[in-house]
Amino acid sequence: MDIQTIIPSVDPISLPAPYWLFKLLLIVTFVLHIIAMNIVFGGSIIAYVAKLKGKTNDNFKKLYSDLAKKLPTFLAATITLGVAPLLFLQVIYGQYFYTSSAIIGWPWFLVIILLIIAYYGFYIIAFKGSENNKYLGWILLLSSFCIVLIGFIYSNNLTLMSTPQFWSQKYFRDPTGMNLNLNEYTLIPRYLHFVTAAIAVGGLFVAILGVFKWGTEKDYAKFLINFGGKWFTYATMLQFVVGILYLIILPKEQMMTFMGENIFATVSFLVALTAALGSIFIIFSSTKNEDPRKGIYIGTSLLVLVLVFMSIMRDSLRDSYLSEYFNPDLFLTATQWDVLGIFLFLFLGGIALWIFMLKVYFRKPNFN
Amino acid sequence: MNYPVWDVSFGSGLLIAIISVVHVFVSHFAVGGGLFLVLTERKAYKENNSQLVGWLKTHSKFFVLLTVVFGAITGVGIWFTIALVNPSATSALIHAFVWGWAIEWVFFFLEITAALLYLYGWKRLDKQTHIWIGWIYFLTAFLSMVVINGIITFMLTSGNWVESKNFWDGFFNPTYWPSLFIRFAFSLSLAGLYALITISRIKDSVFKSFVAKWSLKWVLPSFILLPIFAYWYVANIPVELFQSTNGLMATATQYATLISIFALITFLLALVYYFFTSKINLLFSLLILITAFVTMWSFEFIRESIRKPYVIANYMYGNSIYTESSDFDQGFSIEKINENGILNTAKWTSIKKIKKENSIQAGEEIFRVECLSCHTYDAYRGVRNRLIDRGWDKNITSQMISRIEHMQKGIMPPFAGFESERESLSDYLHNNISQSELSAFKSGKGLFDKYCQVCHQYSSDDPVFFVLTGADREEVEYYLTDLQGMNDLMPNLVPNSKEIEIMMDWFPKQFINQN
Ligand code: HEC
Ligand code: HEC
Repeated sequence: MDIQTIIPSVDPISLPAPYWLFKLLLIVTFVLHIIAMNIVFGGSIIAYVAKLKGKTNDNFKKLYSDLAKKLPTFLAATITLGVAPLLFLQVIYGQYFYTSSAIIGWPWFLVIILLIIAYYGFYIIAFKGSENNKYLGWILLLSSFCIVLIGFIYSNNLTLMSTPQFWSQKYFRDPTGMNLNLNEYTLIPRYLHFVTAAIAVGGLFVAILGVFKWGTEKDYAKFLINFGGKWFTYATMLQFVVGILYLIILPKEQMMTFMGENIFATVSFLVALTAALGSIFIIFSSTKNEDPRKGIYIGTSLLVLVLVFMSIMRDSLRDSYLSEYFNPDLFLTATQWDVLGIFLFLFLGGIALWIFMLKVYFRKPNFN
Repeated sequence: MNYPVWDVSFGSGLLIAIISVVHVFVSHFAVGGGLFLVLTERKAYKENNSQLVGWLKTHSKFFVLLTVVFGAITGVGIWFTIALVNPSATSALIHAFVWGWAIEWVFFFLEITAALLYLYGWKRLDKQTHIWIGWIYFLTAFLSMVVINGIITFMLTSGNWVESKNFWDGFFNPTYWPSLFIRFAFSLSLAGLYALITISRIKDSVFKSFVAKWSLKWVLPSFILLPIFAYWYVANIPVELFQSTNGLMATATQYATLISIFALITFLLALVYYFFTSKINLLFSLLILITAFVTMWSFEFIRESIRKPYVIANYMYGNSIYTESSDFDQGFSIEKINENGILNTAKWTSIKKIKKENSIQAGEEIFRVECLSCHTYDAYRGVRNRLIDRGWDKNITSQMISRIEHMQKGIMPPFAGFESERESLSDYLHNNISQSELSAFKSGKGLFDKYCQVCHQYSSDDPVFFVLTGADREEVEYYLTDLQGMNDLMPNLVPNSKEIEIMMDWFPKQFINQN
């Protein structure tokens, strides 16, 4: 089957804003989503480890219950922040995304079911976290497993989306949607790249918790920073291996995107690499300091930078994969200025209200 | 046409129906329940009723766990599902309304945050701030409904959007306001109904009666208003669409009956409960929730049924074919597909040319791209059984499909493609049906059901009987052997001579005293 003819045509309705705006919103909201997602993903794994170690150690016991209380909230954040990139992705990459989703229909649908299980599981843990119930460990494990699986399904869909050359063989072999993208040889390295990042961010999150507890429970805070910092540094060091493996396993053309072919992508790569190295160094050395807080702040900022640039790279990679088929110049545009204006106004107002609500919530309790 | 069709064995329509109905039943609670929480909290403070505050804490936990988790995820689930099942329509909605969705997302984000702060805030916030967070919750939840309602109603009544492609024309379409009022009234009643679940666990019977009476006061007025809003809603739906609930379309009529019955039962139960509040237990509260659920289910099903054959009214059919040919249709309009053939047009068919040996497989692919969005072969709305019940053989089926758009008063899109493709489709449909399985009809009424009743009704107002009641036998024979000669909108059916003989006797005698 001819690849070009099987790729769905662009939707005939014009884009309601310039292409670049959707791309910008896609990347920005994706970064936010991925941060929350990493905290849930890494956090739930670390929580499980803490649960095991908590049998003999009070600090771990405490870490477990601190994480457990936060997981549902971060999962809520992951989902709400995930809706936005999902929306913008459909606007500009719908032809690819809808197609790959339909080809792996059932696994893709399963995401919803897994999410519900994981979510209720996390809530059970959050509400009963401190109880000594042996089922809780299993529930946590089940929820984490659901999250791990969801990530894997996403990797399947998003790799398949970028490789139209494999669509027809999969679809015509099984139009009932019982497919995955397992024969894509970059799938596993790519997925591991995300898993490792999530574990690193989860570790850093634990360290950040420590920073927040510094004023009230110094010993516990030190423990958190040490423990979290270790997860972060080891995972990120491992990430250098996984990432490089992923890079060299990419098809030559895609690899070259980051090696000079595409200046923007190459610079992003260099910046991300440097920032990642910097963050490892700073966080690792700050855990040895008397007051590690500053180091954690700087390291975290650097890591956010890494995530931003990695997200840009991820996007460049997709465009490189699709370069033969995808030409954004072909989009017709008829900007809906009025609705766009309302959105931007509400968006900014919403952020302000959101910050205000959290501020009110986190100020000292004040009962009248 | 443009996208691969996900072949869900038990029916993709059923999958969407299940997800959306459960979602709707929770998401409406999320709106009305928000107002219920703040007003009940205010009442509790005003009356200095700490027992009520205590119950609210439990109830708000139930509320958040249900709406924030199940409600939110099934909402995302609807997105996943419609994108899987009908990518072209989803793409159209997203292109036309992306800023609407984006606005809705802002509200959604605030709504979820406020819900969590409200729940956790019982322990941290002073009374005033807590209520204030509750108000933010309710307002943002309500506003998400205000936005999403525009997009859902657009699909049923696309208004002037089809010509103008203007956001606001589509958004504030003819059913926008009545639908918003229906949904809001229903959401208020759900607030009271769901409350019965946590109320049923209250031990103190005086207090229980007190809260239950307060909650049922949210149900009774809404159910009195609902029929009025429903009438307004119906008045804004084009008559042709709504006809189908009037006996012309089996499913829609069934649900129209169901909704009236179950709305009434829910109302009466609420009324009875009002006088026996101390007796309310979990079973009773679940019972009334179920009757309310059936009411909501019927409402959504009627909306879905009367929207057929369209997925977006006057723009796109349920099977993703554009209704009108235009420069932008990419070849996916009925007219162009009739010129070029369905196999050549649909991107996701492996067979492009029909030969004798691949006809059945080609037919399966045609079925997939043209019919699978609403049917399955032998499960949900399975075509196989319909053919057997009607007693249609391969030839009748093919003829009927050529005028499929007239069946059941226009519930299906016209068949698009070549005659040879239509024949392949019938080959496929009959590949697993043996002649002996087909129902056989020997009476006049039976033959009327077999040949005519998909498009005509057995009623003296139907054109069939205008013409054939009281006609001569020869006249009837003349018509029956050349239906298309009489009216080209009809299929070219050729009943055999025995059947014609029976009908010649039968038709002239029907409704003879009325015509
Ligand atoms: C937009 C949705 C839609 C599409 C597309 C569609 N149908 Fe239908 N079809 C329906 C509905 C709804 C009914 C009525 C079923 C009912 O009353 O429960 C129906 C009924 C039928 C019946 C039974 C008629 C009767 O009363 O016995 C047949 C046969 C049928 N469809 C065949 C097809 C074929 C073949 C195709 C593809 C060319 C097709 N349909 C496409 C929605 C659709
Ligand atoms: C696939 C749908 C379909 C089937 C099957 C069908 N008809 Fe019709 N028939 C129509 C339509 C559409 C009209 C036009 C109705 C109108 O103009 O309101 C029509 C009109 C008629 C009329 C009035 C003709 C005129 O123009 O005044 C008669 C008589 C009639 N049909 C008889 C029959 C009989 C008898 C059968 C069964 C043997 C039959 N039809 C089967 C669709 C159908």
